[in-house]
Amino acid sequence: MVFGTSTMEFVEEEEQLGFDSDEEKSELSDDELQEAFAKGLLKPGMNVLVAKAKKSTNNVEGLKQCLAEFRKDLPWVESLDMTNLPAEDLISKADGQAPAGVNEDINADDDFQREMFFYRQAQATVLGSLPLLKKHNIATKRPDDYFAEMAKTDQHMQKIRKKLISKQMIMERSEKAKKLREQRKFGKKVQIEVMQKRQKEKKAMMSAVKKYQKGMTDKLDFLEGDQKKPKDAGQGSKKAANKKGPNAKRKFKDQRFGFGGKKSGKKWNTKESHNDVSSFRAKVANAKGGKGGKKGKGGQQNKRPGKSVRRKMKSRS
Amino acid sequence: MAAFKRKRGGQTLVGKKAKKVKIVADGADASIESEQENNNEITVPAPVSGGKWTNKERVLIFSSRGINFRTRHLMQDLRTMMPHSKADTKMDRKDKLFVINEVCEIKNCNKCLFFEAKKKQDLYMWISNSPHGPSAKFLVQNIHTLAELKMTGNCLKGSRPLLSFDPKFDSEPQYALLKELFTQTFSTPRYHPKSQPFVDHVFTFTIADNRIWFRNYQIIEEDASLVEIGPRFVLNLIKIFQGSFGGPTLFENPDFKSPNMHRREIRLAAAAKVREKQMVKEMQKTKRTEAKTDLTTDVTADVFRTPAEEKPVLIETEPPVPRVAKKKKVNGYIRQRMARR
Repeated sequence: MVFGTSTMEFVEEEEQLGFDSDEEKSELSDDELQEAFAKGLLKPGMNVLVAKAKKSTNNVEGLKQCLAEFRKDLPWVESLDMTNLPAEDLISKADGQAPAGVNEDINADDDFQREMFFYRQAQATVLGSLPLLKKHNIATKRPDDYFAEMAKTDQHMQKIRKKLISKQMIMERSEKAKKLREQRKFGKKVQIEVMQKRQKEKKAMMSAVKKYQKGMTDKLDFLEGDQKKPKDAGQGSKKAANKKGPNAKRKFKDQRFGFGGKKSGKKWNTKESHNDVSSFRAKVANAKGGKGGKKGKGGQQNKRPGKSVRRKMKSRS
Repeated sequence: MAAFKRKRGGQTLVGKKAKKVKIVADGADASIESEQENNNEITVPAPVSGGKWTNKERVLIFSSRGINFRTRHLMQDLRTMMPHSKADTKMDRKDKLFVINEVCEIKNCNKCLFFEAKKKQDLYMWISNSPHGPSAKFLVQNIHTLAELKMTGNCLKGSRPLLSFDPKFDSEPQYALLKELFTQTFSTPRYHPKSQPFVDHVFTFTIADNRIWFRNYQIIEEDASLVEIGPRFVLNLIKIFQGSFGGPTLFENPDFKSPNMHRREIRLAAAAKVREKQMVKEMQKTKRTEAKTDLTTDVTADVFRTPAEEKPVLIETEPPVPRVAKKKKVNGYIRQRMARR
């Protein structure tokens, strides 16, 4: 038994930590511990049982001798063996990372790195062996018309091929499905935009027609509006209009009534609004007559001409 | 196969039944793929006639009872890969290991690969040089056979392999001995009658994580593009013996942990965890049920005590005057407005 110590409070108990079950065990009793303490083997502090270092045979001399007796010094052609480091790691070089040092142990848990290491080692062997094989006239390329039994049957290779093809198909199908989904979303957006544009145009047309009907404008530009519209001016004015955003009326209503909340009773007066006289304009309220009232020569611009005049206009145009 | 003895160094007869498939010489002008054996065709002479087969290595590959399907397939794959191998029936577990030496002698083999399965879970592999030579025992892990669909390469059956070793094999004496053992066992001798004249695959042995990793790649192009053929496995060295299946131990791997121990450790760890949880629970229980000390003074009593003048204590002898409740005028519109808000 080996006792290790640590600087903690003194505990006179047996600890199971670090106990290797390969060793022969002897259950430590309190008496034995007390005896050991009395003898001075135990020091104050927590005593922990530490596993003995396993003695493993490593008979280097024996190994070397055995190897010397056993080895067969055959020409290279017989054994075709080669000991070499892996070939250059082109992938990591291409990525810009520094290639792993020669002395570094490969991490056995990183599957990709490990397999690439094996692959590169095999590559280096092949590259090194090819000139030697050529020298001894041993071929590595099988000619196309040389038919012989292969390690895996043709049937098996067919299965492998089918599996690879099916994997590829699955991938392609999933790619296609993803693209379709994206397209559909995009298509929906485009459709909505087109509809909105059409509605806007219709609205503009209707309002232009109404204006003409009411006599506010006597230009018939809206009929040829689609072709004649100067694009820049049109777009410029549109942009300006868009800048102002929603109507002043709309803004006022939003401000007053907000969004959400109770549905009914929003347009009724409340105590505050009833008592609110800030929008009272004394001038406007007490003005008498204004623009000469409705009678007289007011409204000359917007006045609808009489029947005879209209008839004349019609016949004229 | 025909039961005649092939003459060493002699020309093979046209249309002999030894080769199952017709082989046509390279360099022949239009390859005539005929099934008839009576046509006059130039055949590639059998390997034996190229030279004498001098390096007489024969490997005996067999197993004990109780192996599972994966091990069986691995054995078959190794026999396919190594044309200089011989098969034998399963050995009974009761027999001692040195019986294997006798089996090898009967079969006239000088190397042996013996697979031993324990508990139907762990697979051990013995590799030995039969009459006197050294032998080694390994634990085999991570077996993948030829038949796995991810191994897409293929090679000629019986073609000679290139062997590729990690430089770490030269650094330590036990690995150097193992390298020699592997070289003699796995390399197909030149001019072996069952071998093919082309070299189209490579075995790699690498040391990583104190284990030996085995891979088998097919050489596709001369620029060393490779595809894995399989099989693949990992060898964990246990011991090296001086004799064949016995003798003094030359090397023992200190990092080796037997699979039983490994499983036991896992179980013990789980048990220790459970025990710890139980202990904690018990401690909590005892804490709860043990007698609690009554505190006479409340430590927190003075927290809200602020220093200030004490107010005179007034004792009212008469009840207070009741307040007159003001009755509010109920306006219908007000109620509506309240409800609205």
